[in-house]
Amino acid sequence: MEPDRITNLPDNVIEGILLHLPMRDAVRTSILSSKWRYKWATVPYLVFNKVFCPFYQNPTDITSKIVSIIDRVLVLHFGVIHKFELSHREFEAVSDIDRWILHLSRRSIENIVLEIWQSEAYKVPSCLFYCQSLTNLELYNCSLKPPSIFEGFRKLERLDLQNVTLEQDFLENLISSCPNLEILYLADIKGLSRMNVNAPKLRHFDFDGVLEDISFENTFNLVRVLISFLKNVKNDQCRALRNSSNLLKILVNLPTIKVLKLQEYALKYLAVGIEPHKLPEPHVELKYISIYINLNNHEDSLTFLCLLSTAPNLDELEMTAHPEEQTIGGIDTNFWEDGCWNLPFSKLRVVKITGISGAKPEMDFIKFVLLNSPALERMVVEPVFTSDRWELVTKLLCFKRASNQAEIIYKNP
Amino acid sequence: MSEGVMAVVKPEMKSYIWLQTADGSIQQVEEEVAMFCPMICREIIQTGMGSSKNYAISLPQRVNPAILGLILDYCRFHQVPGRSNKERKTYDEKFIRMDTKKLCELTSAADSLQLKPLVDLTSRALARIIEGKTPEEIRETFHLPDDLTEEEKLEPLRNITDDPRIRLLNRLYARKRKELREREKLKNVEVEEERVDERSVEDLLTFINGGDGESKGSRTNKNKKKNRRRRDQPKNSSSEANGNHNKELDALSPAFHDSGASPSKSTKLQDSTSVSFSPKLDFDDADIDDDLDPAMKEELDREVEDFARRLNSHWPDRMQEILSLGQERRLLPMSINGDGSRRYSTAALSGLEDASMQFAATEAVEKLAIFSLQQRVSIFVCFNIIQMQCFILWESMYSGMKKMLEKRRKTENSRMTTWANMLILFRDCCLLLLLLVTFQP
Repeated sequence: MEPDRITNLPDNVIEGILLHLPMRDAVRTSILSSKWRYKWATVPYLVFNKVFCPFYQNPTDITSKIVSIIDRVLVLHFGVIHKFELSHREFEAVSDIDRWILHLSRRSIENIVLEIWQSEAYKVPSCLFYCQSLTNLELYNCSLKPPSIFEGFRKLERLDLQNVTLEQDFLENLISSCPNLEILYLADIKGLSRMNVNAPKLRHFDFDGVLEDISFENTFNLVRVLISFLKNVKNDQCRALRNSSNLLKILVNLPTIKVLKLQEYALKYLAVGIEPHKLPEPHVELKYISIYINLNNHEDSLTFLCLLSTAPNLDELEMTAHPEEQTIGGIDTNFWEDGCWNLPFSKLRVVKITGISGAKPEMDFIKFVLLNSPALERMVVEPVFTSDRWELVTKLLCFKRASNQAEIIYKNP
Repeated sequence: MSEGVMAVVKPEMKSYIWLQTADGSIQQVEEEVAMFCPMICREIIQTGMGSSKNYAISLPQRVNPAILGLILDYCRFHQVPGRSNKERKTYDEKFIRMDTKKLCELTSAADSLQLKPLVDLTSRALARIIEGKTPEEIRETFHLPDDLTEEEKLEPLRNITDDPRIRLLNRLYARKRKELREREKLKNVEVEEERVDERSVEDLLTFINGGDGESKGSRTNKNKKKNRRRRDQPKNSSSEANGNHNKELDALSPAFHDSGASPSKSTKLQDSTSVSFSPKLDFDDADIDDDLDPAMKEELDREVEDFARRLNSHWPDRMQEILSLGQERRLLPMSINGDGSRRYSTAALSGLEDASMQFAATEAVEKLAIFSLQQRVSIFVCFNIIQMQCFILWESMYSGMKKMLEKRRKTENSRMTTWANMLILFRDCCLLLLLLVTFQP
């Protein structure tokens, strides 16, 4: 009789094994042998997603089935629960979730992921805010209302809110009352018109949505920022009031930034109030810039140039052409060729240019970059599909390069 | 590595750490490789041991020399900083290809050395082994003792996953419990009787002709009725019941003739067949709702009891084979392509054919001896015609199937294949009868 080796492994190892199994298989181990009967019940991760509950033929039953399963699992489980995830795509919001969150708040839950894909936004109960041991909160399609006494999540390190409805003040309050917040992802937040991020330990910040105004405060550890404004909210009043450019205002509070991604209309927001003589301080750690820009627009290009000038150690640059219907403020035809821009990209290694169509400003920009980057190793150009893309290639070939190791890679659209 | 290595003068003075496993053997390893292990690292720093043979670091008991070798290989690869993630991943994939026994030992050893990446890697590998297997398979792979008592196992499983198969399993277990109890009571009853098939050839013919136009459901209904009628017969004249069971399982063949009784089956066989029965009884999910309608329930009940009874009766091994073949055949129509089922059906048929031929042979010998020559000739002609008609029909069905395959209409296809199979079988029966009639002395 061969000895049984697996049952006698230490508990943490068995927990590790059961962790890697989908819920269903983990629970099935309870009928293997007498020792395995309750091993599954101490695994502190409860993940209810598509893998756990396969597709049933009538979707209306799924929600009730999932509810009964989760009820049973929560009752049979003993010990702490570190992670609870409910992200099944067919699941509709029901009031049972309130009960579960209350139960979890008593089990020192650390990580809650709640994604409601069907039905309308789920109103998160106030007992969620009493889970003081929470380190990661991820919500999709919910609506949050602050409780009367909200002290913040002391231990919250990561907050991910997508398609969530909440009040403006509440969000700012939430962020500033979580002293350990390191990662903040916000997308499609409803009810938000401006934002002020005040989080001393924040390292990553991602925002995707529509805002009139964004500002950072006390964010001296912020390393990675992604801002994507889906619409350009023109606010002329604000423009008049400001005497400093948005770019300056933002960059001044991001001294340690390494990765900056400005997508969609974010650059347009930064372009407000730009003045070429008031340049921001050099940000020595800024290594990666990714930007959506319409090179035909004078203000945008100016902003871009100012941005580039604050990054002497830029390592990688990614530019995506972002065409607009009306070009306001057409660009000077020799904008990039003027020699007064003295920007040696001394450390620039990789450049990626996407979506261009071969217009003069764009080609000028490429020429400008090639001329000024002695350390360039690779440039990847991927234009959009136009009939004269071969002209683009021929022009590309003519450009002088400052770096003798530069490779120009043309990607077929 | 032996001591002799130390004698070789190396241009770069590599320092070595000495490790001692629980069985007393001592190994020496390069320092950076050993330092990759947190536990060894700590030992060296805190206690300063390991610098010479006499002061070798003693490793925990769970680490034996062979496993230590594996662990050191792992460390040696991963401690080199310049490797890409892809390289490391590929190495990991290759590294964990070993039998489960070694994998368990490796996990245990890695855990005692606190080498977390290796513990993660091996845990994931073990999880992958466990995933998707049935409990029996898992028990077999890891040699787990099947020590839950019958009662404990038969406790309705907490229906965590709401799997219809688990629900069915529960129900079958409940019935099994009843059977267990009954068996206890009837332990000493002898059950050896000869089985006689009393059905006549006409019965057979009518059955066959009647079965042509029916759907699956009504066929089972017919079988159920037959079951009820035969219930007052002695327990083991159940060739009828056997036949019915096979029909339920979609093997259209005449009832079998059980010529001999074999000794009683062990509980294990019953266990395994009962357990294997349930997953193979692959009802559509649509049929099984939370509340089965009473008809389905009754059918289920009857089938299970039938099956249990048959288990109690004494089947020759052959019948068991045929039974399982029949079960698998039932599975097939559910998920098919035309070619596959054909291939399979020929395989299944061979088993069934033997049985059918056996039956046909014995029966024919008995029945036809009483007919006169003229009658024989007419029967001959009859069978001939039937056989040829069958063949023609089968050919047309086959071409129809092919067309449907092209159109990819699976459900139609499956039904067609079922009928096609049945026709073939019937035709073969007829052929055999023909031969017998012709050549019978």
